[in-house]
Amino acid sequence: MFAPIAVVGTHVARQVARVGALARFSFSAFQAWGTLPAAGRRVARRVLLNQLWFTALQAIPLVIVLSSILSFLVISQAVRELGRIGSVELIGTLIVVAIVRELGPLLTALVVAGRSGTAIAAELATNKVMGEVDALEGMGIDPVHYLVLPRFAAAIVSVFSLTILFDGVAILAGLVAAFANGMSAGHYFDIVLRSLAFRDAGVTLVKGIVFGTIIGTVPSFHGLAVRRAATEVPIASSHAVVGSILAIFLTSALFVVVS
Amino acid sequence: MNVPALSFDQVTVGDGTPSVLSFDVPGHRAVCLLGDATSGVGTLGRYALALDRPPTGRVLVLGENLAELPRRAALAFRRRVGYLPAGDGLLQNLTLYDNVALPLRFGSDRSEIAIDGRIQVMLTMLRLQHVARLRPARVNEEERRRAALARALAFDPELVILEQPFDGLTTRTAAQILELARGGESAEGARRTVFIVGQSLPDVLRARVELRYRLVRGRLELET
Repeated sequence: MFAPIAVVGTHVARQVARVGALARFSFSAFQAWGTLPAAGRRVARRVLLNQLWFTALQAIPLVIVLSSILSFLVISQAVRELGRIGSVELIGTLIVVAIVRELGPLLTALVVAGRSGTAIAAELATNKVMGEVDALEGMGIDPVHYLVLPRFAAAIVSVFSLTILFDGVAILAGLVAAFANGMSAGHYFDIVLRSLAFRDAGVTLVKGIVFGTIIGTVPSFHGLAVRRAATEVPIASSHAVVGSILAIFLTSALFVVVS
Repeated sequence: MNVPALSFDQVTVGDGTPSVLSFDVPGHRAVCLLGDATSGVGTLGRYALALDRPPTGRVLVLGENLAELPRRAALAFRRRVGYLPAGDGLLQNLTLYDNVALPLRFGSDRSEIAIDGRIQVMLTMLRLQHVARLRPARVNEEERRRAALARALAFDPELVILEQPFDGLTTRTAAQILELARGGESAEGARRTVFIVGQSLPDVLRARVELRYRLVRGRLELET
């Protein structure tokens, strides 16, 4: 009779333990900033630049394509439909609230989680399986310093910068859509700028940092949690991307509640 | 009184039929401990460096128990010990040159020029100049093992721990690796202390390894 309850309880306890371990890992990653040795900074910076190349620069075309298509479609429809009921001014709210503040950071984070989160988890899991993490420890190098910190920093910088890019491109694509539907550029910018509050821009940027932190820690945690079996690598990647997406959506919902 | 380079005190190894080991590795000697795959001798290097904790017992490395040191101190202490893990543990996304340079770049304040000088010496000694700019996947097993040894010796450690260092190598290469790990001769014996764990030791190396232990059915036997 109690067996199903025990199964559910065990599962819940395991998930709570995993969240606890993830929180400890995130805390230790933050702490590691302060303990990175001076000599190690040079090496970590090199890894960081490499990670920025893969995580930020290589994602630029995808972010531009997604942002412009999304914004063009939404604003085209909005100008047409809202124009019929004489409420075309509402596209300002639509572009600021829906695209800049909500979808911009969310979609950017999903792109980075899908592209780089899986790559981070797979790479670190492979490092672990190949004995490279133990070799680093054996050389006196903290794997958190060498492997996690640069990826952590790169994820934050990448999501933050790509979010700004996404929103900028979305506003420009919205202009093209509005122009194509008979609205002048001056009128479009007037509506958008009137709707854009400093607070919206702030929330967007804070989201970029928070989502970047999630993508920097969750995949690293899952990647380094594997033991010695190669079969664990794809499992770690899968857990990393699912965990990141879940955390991003939950945090996004939390932002709506709080702000 | 001379402190042993390594001291295993009541250390339990092996899963199926565990063995409890107590023995010392004296300084300036090459010592090997052989045992089959299930004996657990392969874990002794990891226990010594506190990468894993033994179920029971303690290991002193150059008089220190790394398992009891704070993490930062333990990491710094490990630079005094050269460690060649089973396989090679080379980072696959770095060239052999960068693999050898990594511990020096991360753990010392030397300039890049000084580091380059040290690496060139290591690469020459280990005959790796021609493959130095290649990644581990593009070189053969022997070159990978040599590169891993170069990395282990980067700080010129006083103690070197080698895990299954000769597996898959020709006896000639195995002999070269042992000689490089010993680092030449001093008045007291080998310049460095070398501790080898593995399943077998090539016959030609027996004379160069002063103490040869074998774990047989849970008992440590000294080969003569």
